[in-house]
Amino acid sequence: MNRRQLAALAGALLLSTTLTACGSDDDPASGDNSGVTLTMLMGVNNIYPEQQRAWFTEVSDKFKAETGASVRFETFASANDELTKIQTSVVSGQGPDVYALGTTFTPTAYATGAFVELTKEDWDKVGGRERFLPATLGISGPDQEHEVGIPFASRPFVMAYNKDLLTAAGIDKPADSWDGLRDQAKQLTKDGAYGLAIGYADGFDPWKFIWAMTTQAGTPVVKDGKAALDGPNTKAAYEAYLGWLATDKVVDPAAVGWKNAQAIAAFGEGKAAYLPMVSASSKVSLDKSKVAGRYAYAVMPTIPPGATSLPAGGVAATSILSGDNVVVAKYSKHKDLALALVKLLTSEESQTSYYKTFGELPTNQAAATALGSDPALAAIVDSAGKSLNTPFTGGWSAVQLELTNVVVQSIPDLSAGKVDDAKLTGLLGQAQTKAQQALDKAK
Amino acid sequence: MFLPGGVLTLLVIVVPLALALYISLLDLDQYSIREWVGAEFIGFENYVEAVRDSNLVHAIGLSVGYSALVTVGCLPIGLAAAVATQDRFKGRGLVRSVLLVPYVLPAFVVGSTWRIIFQPDGVANEVLGTSGLWLNGPRSFWALVIVQLWAGWPLVYLLAAAGLQSLDVTVHEAAALDGAGWWAKLRHVVLPQLRGPVSLALVISFLHNVNSFTLPFVLFGVPSPYDVEVLPVLTYVESFQNFEFGLSVAMAVVSLVLVAIPMAVYLRAVRLDTGRGQR
Repeated sequence: MNRRQLAALAGALLLSTTLTACGSDDDPASGDNSGVTLTMLMGVNNIYPEQQRAWFTEVSDKFKAETGASVRFETFASANDELTKIQTSVVSGQGPDVYALGTTFTPTAYATGAFVELTKEDWDKVGGRERFLPATLGISGPDQEHEVGIPFASRPFVMAYNKDLLTAAGIDKPADSWDGLRDQAKQLTKDGAYGLAIGYADGFDPWKFIWAMTTQAGTPVVKDGKAALDGPNTKAAYEAYLGWLATDKVVDPAAVGWKNAQAIAAFGEGKAAYLPMVSASSKVSLDKSKVAGRYAYAVMPTIPPGATSLPAGGVAATSILSGDNVVVAKYSKHKDLALALVKLLTSEESQTSYYKTFGELPTNQAAATALGSDPALAAIVDSAGKSLNTPFTGGWSAVQLELTNVVVQSIPDLSAGKVDDAKLTGLLGQAQTKAQQALDKAK
Repeated sequence: MFLPGGVLTLLVIVVPLALALYISLLDLDQYSIREWVGAEFIGFENYVEAVRDSNLVHAIGLSVGYSALVTVGCLPIGLAAAVATQDRFKGRGLVRSVLLVPYVLPAFVVGSTWRIIFQPDGVANEVLGTSGLWLNGPRSFWALVIVQLWAGWPLVYLLAAAGLQSLDVTVHEAAALDGAGWWAKLRHVVLPQLRGPVSLALVISFLHNVNSFTLPFVLFGVPSPYDVEVLPVLTYVESFQNFEFGLSVAMAVVSLVLVAIPMAVYLRAVRLDTGRGQR
């Protein structure tokens, strides 16, 4: 036995003790599927846990009525859980048949080569590619011929604003440029309230701001496999973002320790006029807060810092393309049934009901169009259509981490009320090197 | 009785360890994980990259430094608590139980609670009359030391208390008859008897701190501030954020070597490895 065989044997031994097999023979979607159980892995919904359990039963019952097969849902609590499950399944070739993944994680999943690339026939089996909102297909694959992700839920980012505070300050509508927003925030910072609520210590929020501003400036942080983290526009984006607290003083100084939830809480207390970078799920908390009925959503600014109009080459992206995609595992012995399940999950009826239960926007074109007429949702639906995908590279996760790391390491300065130019330049240089290394490894 | 023990050791320790060593020599990432056996063999490149291009050396210094500080700090607190609760008094059982609370609380609960305490507008700044950051910047190192100390000292207390229980009462009586005061008793009778359990507690405490992931992860999050980028967190980030599994395993192997040193020293000291006991 050579070294590799030995290692493989040892690996198989280990894995066989920790994994459960799922399903047995190949079965087409039609015919007798009784006794077949598909497994779907998705994130646990902490806001609506009971409703999610009810939804699982409902989907399984419906699927059984349609195909004779049942669906067992497994949930993961964190991205770490999800990844561990994917890793073990990918290595062992057994596990869930269908996975719901966050959009920005889709490129990493694609990189593993473990998920079904959808052919025209496969798309037809889920009801046709054209049943989806075109914008939601932006992160399904590197190009249209190599798509693995089927859009399932849309969670575009928007900005909440306190209508009373804006009216009191004589501001008739939220600014459409980041500089304009900063100026409005200055006007709004008074009487114990701040212009903006920002979660500087959040593990994800910071990179989304920098991504948006640099994309709008026409110099995205990654383009054609090249990182541009040390460019002047990236630096300007960090200066604007960090400057809100450090120099403009339009954010509560305590925000250096805030995660997204604490920013939402501060806005809910009426202590901030604007709350950028939230999705529709913030509605649940805000409708129970002091500002219930006194706030509205608007799209975030689309004109980058230092500009008064969109520069040449800039893209007026309102949000990263955010939500969930579903993917079908290549090792699944029930591919057609898996696609039939995806068809059920993305039908107009299911998507409308999913929105009503969980507040996540449909990716189904017909269902989304019907919702767009609701004024309370107008901004969110608008942002869904103007979302832009993050670069489709297996190295994105590392880039995202580097972008956030610059903010994490700048927080001591931020807390001291400054943005240290030399230090920021140094951090951006390091981030550039690491991001480029990750991109160079992309295969 | 070699066979059952041997098979168990093989399955539980040798196979995973051999696999880990092998993986640390592969260019294993998200692109090759599906057929990981076929991942490119790159020799010691992961180790070179870990030392040269990552924060590994800094992380090792940090992990060893804070673990040593915490371990040394645990000693007087744990001993004092054990000695203080040795003599019978009303409510001793309750006090002994309460002293163990920090140790039995799950790390994420400890982390979340201290995270709130250390917020810029939190209790820590209010009580100490300070302002500014505890969870980032130079003070974050001390925040980590304080929290680990708070959560870790009851282990020393527990083992020291157990050691005190087994002390022969007649020795105390004899010392008292000889006219020894409390300090002389403590210094010449109690402490020498506690050397075994307490040094075990110190070794366990040190290893526990070097390997502690949950607490720094919950307290500081990832990406981690530079001053608290400890070894387990760095390893986690390489695996679960950057998907550099080979590199991450190489780091894990380095940390294994790191924890093996005090372990070996301890085993040697108590002669557990030879099965002959301490004396």
